[in-house]
Amino acid sequence: MIAARLAWANLGLHRRKSLLIGMIMGLGILILFLGNSLIDTALSGLQRMFVQGYTGDLMVTGPTEFSTTVLGETAGSEEVLPHIAQIKKYEDFLASRKDVASTLPLLSGQASFGIGEAELGSGYCFGVNVDDYRDFFPDNVTLMNGEWPAENDGPWVLLSEPTLALLNKSASSPVKPGTKIIMTALANSAGTVIREVTVKGVIKFNQSNQQLSGITLVDADTMRDLLGFASLRDGAPVLSGQEAAFVTSFDPDSLFNDLFAGSGGTAATGSASAAEAWGQGAAASSAQTSVQAEVVPAWQFLLVRVKPGASSSRLLSDLSAFSKQIDDGDRVQDWIAGAGKVARTAVTIRLAFDLLVAVVAVVVIMIMMNVLVISVNERLYEIGTLRAIGAKRRVVRNMILYETTFLALIAGAAGLLIGLVLLLVLGKVGIRAPNLFFEALFGGQVLKPMVSGGAAIRAFLWILAMGLGASWYPTIVALRIEPVVAMRGD
Amino acid sequence: MSDIIISLDKVKKVYFLDTVEVDALNDISLDIHAGDFVSIAGPSGSGKTTILNLIGCVDKPTSGTVIVHGKRTSDLNDDSLTELRHKSIGFIFQTFNLIPVLNIRENVELPLLLDSQSGSGRKADRKEWVDFLIENVGLKDRMLHKPAELSGGQRQRVAIARALVMKPAIVLADEPTANLDSATGESILRLMRHMNETFGTTFIFSTHDPDIVEEADHIIRLRDGRIVEDRRRNGTSVDFAAAPGADEPVGATGTEGGQS
Repeated sequence: MIAARLAWANLGLHRRKSLLIGMIMGLGILILFLGNSLIDTALSGLQRMFVQGYTGDLMVTGPTEFSTTVLGETAGSEEVLPHIAQIKKYEDFLASRKDVASTLPLLSGQASFGIGEAELGSGYCFGVNVDDYRDFFPDNVTLMNGEWPAENDGPWVLLSEPTLALLNKSASSPVKPGTKIIMTALANSAGTVIREVTVKGVIKFNQSNQQLSGITLVDADTMRDLLGFASLRDGAPVLSGQEAAFVTSFDPDSLFNDLFAGSGGTAATGSASAAEAWGQGAAASSAQTSVQAEVVPAWQFLLVRVKPGASSSRLLSDLSAFSKQIDDGDRVQDWIAGAGKVARTAVTIRLAFDLLVAVVAVVVIMIMMNVLVISVNERLYEIGTLRAIGAKRRVVRNMILYETTFLALIAGAAGLLIGLVLLLVLGKVGIRAPNLFFEALFGGQVLKPMVSGGAAIRAFLWILAMGLGASWYPTIVALRIEPVVAMRGD
Repeated sequence: MSDIIISLDKVKKVYFLDTVEVDALNDISLDIHAGDFVSIAGPSGSGKTTILNLIGCVDKPTSGTVIVHGKRTSDLNDDSLTELRHKSIGFIFQTFNLIPVLNIRENVELPLLLDSQSGSGRKADRKEWVDFLIENVGLKDRMLHKPAELSGGQRQRVAIARALVMKPAIVLADEPTANLDSATGESILRLMRHMNETFGTTFIFSTHDPDIVEEADHIIRLRDGRIVEDRRRNGTSVDFAAAPGADEPVGATGTEGGQS
């Protein structure tokens, strides 16, 4: 305790140095607290928006080397994301889990809209079963006009307000519920696909940014057509006995044996591709089983919502392991990958911020270290006297460490208090996004920062670590002071 | 005859000033008895402070043996030396060396708080003992003042109380009156003598003031790192006038004379 008492008293005696170090620490903690709170707010806003409105907590996607956003944007590839061949297995696995609240299959892609031959605009589309979609995202979609599609309705779309406005800019007569429009897309295997659909209603996404607010919901079969997958609108293919016999006895390898004779590996690859192509053309799952077995519709995404309080990272890990067992090359990813650039940018900004803090921390530690060394050198005789009258080295070491810790506590409390006030004020006033990038990052036009307990703890731990790091060398200097110094007088 | 509490045998201390060797002490041997009031006299640079440093276990000899309170200092590690200083030796410095951030009471109590054993004694007993010492050095009404608020003489009184608080066997005082006027210096010396007689503590002080030197029971005079006189008040003495440069084992002879 005497070390603490001396440390406390020394801080008071060396007020200027204490104030200087305290201000550096206080400023550091303030910047860390504010910065991390802002990033936490943006990230948690993004997380809330995407998890509750677009991606769920986790998603399984069809086989792809890179992560894919829920808008179907695959990093490093222009190709349409393939479907999940064995989606049923995933659904069964997830249904057996106690930590899974619900799942939703989804298709995603881009299409153009037109009336007659006039193209009116284009946008992102989700192919969904509308009831399932509304169950999975109950709070994110509001019907503004028209009606929700019924089960037996023909091809339909639910246009978002911005998309409707876009179409109406060029349309000769207003597009509205009941209007038939043409959707066009360029599919991988099927070339240009054109489908006529009926506008069933106009929707609004309650949590969105500029990109997400324009999404159009399309019936799943139309979306399959547009993406080049087999449509199941008319059910499974009805084959005559002869056709069925042919299909069941069909050996795709035999088609290309002549072409690839003498090259076993290539022949195998070719036959696999052929089977795959046939599979996409005939139905959405395995080619050889599609006719005889239950026909499984093609879906590119399987969104997963975990139960409140359950660990999504644990489920991610388990689901990834399960996907490896299936070995189709499907990808399991979290909401950040599903959200894409915006969320990754926020995470990157946090990393960059932490990196910047680490660099600044080194500079600050050097400054603090210098000030503390000067302080120790000024107390040469005092420390020498302590050693002479019987203070062991640990008393001296503790004294320096206590000084730093007290400073960190006081400066930390001051920095956190100021940060808290600033955050409360900013929370009331809000920070307006200066451009679309920030609007996407903020998850809206105005960011109202929240007080983040995690940011406060992280900031304090940073400062404490910096303080202790800065006191390392001064402590060594202090421990080197021999008691004989006391005899030399001051 | 009292016990020998400090013994130096053929002690040599060499300092290095850059590349130049300086013999601070050269072949010093002496014995100091428990309860003695000892002065170490000599001009500046004669080696007074170096002897005190060796006896006070804040420095080690280049060669020879220093035994303090039965312990050979060269055999002890830093922690053991610290403990020996803490338990057996009190220090009074020329420049007082009080801790500026602590008040008088805290300064006196400080050595008691420096380790868990002495610090864990009953607080009331500790307080009583500290108050007793402060009262004995005449600073009862200044207990809560900071050192900066005291005169030089008062600060040295605090240092004396602090030196005695652990009830050490030995108190070392390095020129305790050097920074004081003569009247204050005399009062400090009287106080030290009083404590020496009251507690039986061995006091060893260095000085170059001839009047103060003569107050001691046992006078050791140094010149150029050698003992030139080792005399006890009872008359036994050895004349070291032949020094410096004498090769005789001065300490051994002097000690023998002093013990009679």
